[in-house]
Amino acid sequence: MSHTFKGGVHPNYMKAPQIPVTVIAPPAQVVIPMAQHIGAPCKPLVSVGDYVKMGQKVGENPAPVSAPVHASVSGKVVAVEPRPHPLGDMILSVVIENDYQDTPCEDLAPLTPEELKDPDAILDRIREAGVVGMGGAMFPTAFKIRGGIGKVDKLIINGAECEPYLNGDHLTMLNFPEQLLKGIELVRIASGVEKAYYGIEKNKQDAIDLLNSLHPEKYGIEIVPEEVKYPQGGEKMQVKAVTGREVKPGGLPSGVGCNVVSTRTSYAVYQACYEGKPVIERIVTVAGSALKAPVNGLTRVGTPFGYLAEQCGGFVKDPRKIVLGGPMMGICATSFDAPTIKGTAGVLFFTEEEDRHVEHPTCIRCGKCITVCPMNLEPVFMYMYYSKGDFANMEKYHILDCFECGSCAFNCPARMPLTHAFKTAKLMFQAKAAKEKAAAEAAAAAAAAKEVKV
Amino acid sequence: MSEKKERIVLDVAYQPQVRTGTDTRRIMLDVMIALLPAVAVSVWQFGVYPLAVIAVSMASAVFFEWGYRKLMKKTNTVGDLSACVTGLLLALTLPPTAPLWLPPIGTFFAIVVVKQLYGGIGKNFLNPALAARAFLLASYALLMGQYAVPSSLAGIDGVSSATPLSYLYDAGAFPAYIDLKGLFLGTIPGSIGEISALALLIGFAYLLIRKVISWRIPTAFVGTVAVLTLIFGGSGFGRVEWMLANVLSGGLMLGAIFMATDYATSPVTLNGQLLFGAGCGALTVLIRYFGGFPEGVSYAILIMNLCSWAIDKLFHRHQFGVTKEDIEAEKAARKAAKEAAK
Repeated sequence: MSHTFKGGVHPNYMKAPQIPVTVIAPPAQVVIPMAQHIGAPCKPLVSVGDYVKMGQKVGENPAPVSAPVHASVSGKVVAVEPRPHPLGDMILSVVIENDYQDTPCEDLAPLTPEELKDPDAILDRIREAGVVGMGGAMFPTAFKIRGGIGKVDKLIINGAECEPYLNGDHLTMLNFPEQLLKGIELVRIASGVEKAYYGIEKNKQDAIDLLNSLHPEKYGIEIVPEEVKYPQGGEKMQVKAVTGREVKPGGLPSGVGCNVVSTRTSYAVYQACYEGKPVIERIVTVAGSALKAPVNGLTRVGTPFGYLAEQCGGFVKDPRKIVLGGPMMGICATSFDAPTIKGTAGVLFFTEEEDRHVEHPTCIRCGKCITVCPMNLEPVFMYMYYSKGDFANMEKYHILDCFECGSCAFNCPARMPLTHAFKTAKLMFQAKAAKEKAAAEAAAAAAAAKEVKV
Repeated sequence: MSEKKERIVLDVAYQPQVRTGTDTRRIMLDVMIALLPAVAVSVWQFGVYPLAVIAVSMASAVFFEWGYRKLMKKTNTVGDLSACVTGLLLALTLPPTAPLWLPPIGTFFAIVVVKQLYGGIGKNFLNPALAARAFLLASYALLMGQYAVPSSLAGIDGVSSATPLSYLYDAGAFPAYIDLKGLFLGTIPGSIGEISALALLIGFAYLLIRKVISWRIPTAFVGTVAVLTLIFGGSGFGRVEWMLANVLSGGLMLGAIFMATDYATSPVTLNGQLLFGAGCGALTVLIRYFGGFPEGVSYAILIMNLCSWAIDKLFHRHQFGVTKEDIEAEKAARKAAKEAAK
């Protein structure tokens, strides 16, 4: 049985995993945004002038869907103010001036052997160490695992790394295989399941062989080699490829008894539990035709993009776009001063070379979007109804089920802005729902007022 | 560095940030490349004159595309090469002796009336080349029916320029100089591009490898013709010979591979494409058996073109994650709601 899903595309992978991983020297100032996860943003715990150690917690929020943030260098807090955030907008951030001492913070001790077998202790540590979905979604991992306990019978670790350019997961497998397996074991114990399935695309055969040679079955892990196809790393595609189950429209993987945790997250869990190290660094692939010397660099959280580019020898050409994550689902940053955060797997500096933009795209009805859609949708019609603003038909054609993988737009010979349209359409649906809700509330209030008068 | 940063204006766009290398222009180029074997066979059999017909047809198609867009102050779309393809396809449906003033009349109809009046590429609902052929057939029936004798048959006694299809349905037997091998290789009278099934199949293979078209429409089309002719048979021929002769003649290959697969005028849904191809095949057989004249492929495709939209609506598919049980449950719920309403 081949492990894959229907649809999908084969982009030019542009992968360049070099060993060993380059270590990006920490910058003179790091910017730690208070929002590096989905959920409630953190409140700063430090103020200007405070001295912080590397790994010290600098922001948190007691809300269940949240994750604390930590200082990625030691030094003095020089500002607590809104700064450019990689996902756009200005977000409250703690700015730390690096004293280049990397004085470690001892707040989080490595877990004891007993604690390493206790799901609650592991989950508490995952939360305390600020572990979030580091594949890019940045959903707080502890909350995700807790929510799945009892419901989930299959844990899936996502090692597809199907996005072009990115190598962080692959390099983690090659450089820290043992640690990675231990991390996955912890996630498995915390999830309360017997077995974890590690789905890895076959283009990382060296990593598959290496992991298999370390007896993954000892840790309750089975390696599942998968067909190389984008978006294999999508949660729903992973679930389908590994278990054959299909997540219901609008549902979560836990709805069909599955939870999907990324490679880098599992490694972060290892570091949190075995080393007492919070999430303060990750491998970031810095690439794109604008750069002189692209690298896969172990990068501190809070490193500004401009600094990263300098570390890669600067620009050979003016970049047109800064893409965060992979080029298929990555969005564009608007500032060179915005920093990397926990979910930043890649920072790509693209020029016209990568851009295949055309002025007046015209659909030729080739239907190639339909053949590649992993969600079985019909983008050609979704786009047509979107252009007309026809909400009823957009819904009928399941526009809300699109998870914006970009396969249709990637494959479109006419260069139609398909994914852009669907993303916009989903926002339009949200706005419409909010408007209707407001109108209904206003009507109810008016009715209530009338009653009072009567 | 910081100075440089100041003057860089960054673009923002939603994903994806990269695109496939295949664009509309490349697809059209591939279609033309796929037609080269057929063009080569026509040169082999009819000499260089067909090249002149093709050249005039393509040039005039491009001219009308450019002229109309210019006149209407629209963007210039000549670069997408779709007009070239239309011109080439129309030329391939013309007899090899067609006078050079004929193709421009056809391409005017194809490009201006059928394609541009409906908004240009992707918006037309009839195949431009086929609609133009139908137009020329109605307007210049005599010219369109004059087929040259191919060079392979030159010097053989009693060769007429009637196409194999007319023998199939009118005479009940092929004359001695027409056989299945000739039909396959292209040593038969016929229009410029239709004579060699082999050349067209090579083009089909190329298009499949380049992923320009899928196998669905051509296979369903030819398959349906094969099955129906095998079942119904014809007088004077063995069943299998009758079936093969039907499949290999009358522009069926040209129509099934290059005309019925026209993007704008065929369904985009996968099962819809199968139905579309089967419909084309069934209509072709119907017209051949019962029509006023044996040539059925063009009209079959044109009629099915008109049904494309409806077929696509019919085959609207369920999204990922919807199981058969879900569909059954939904059906049952709808039924229950109906009964409750009663």
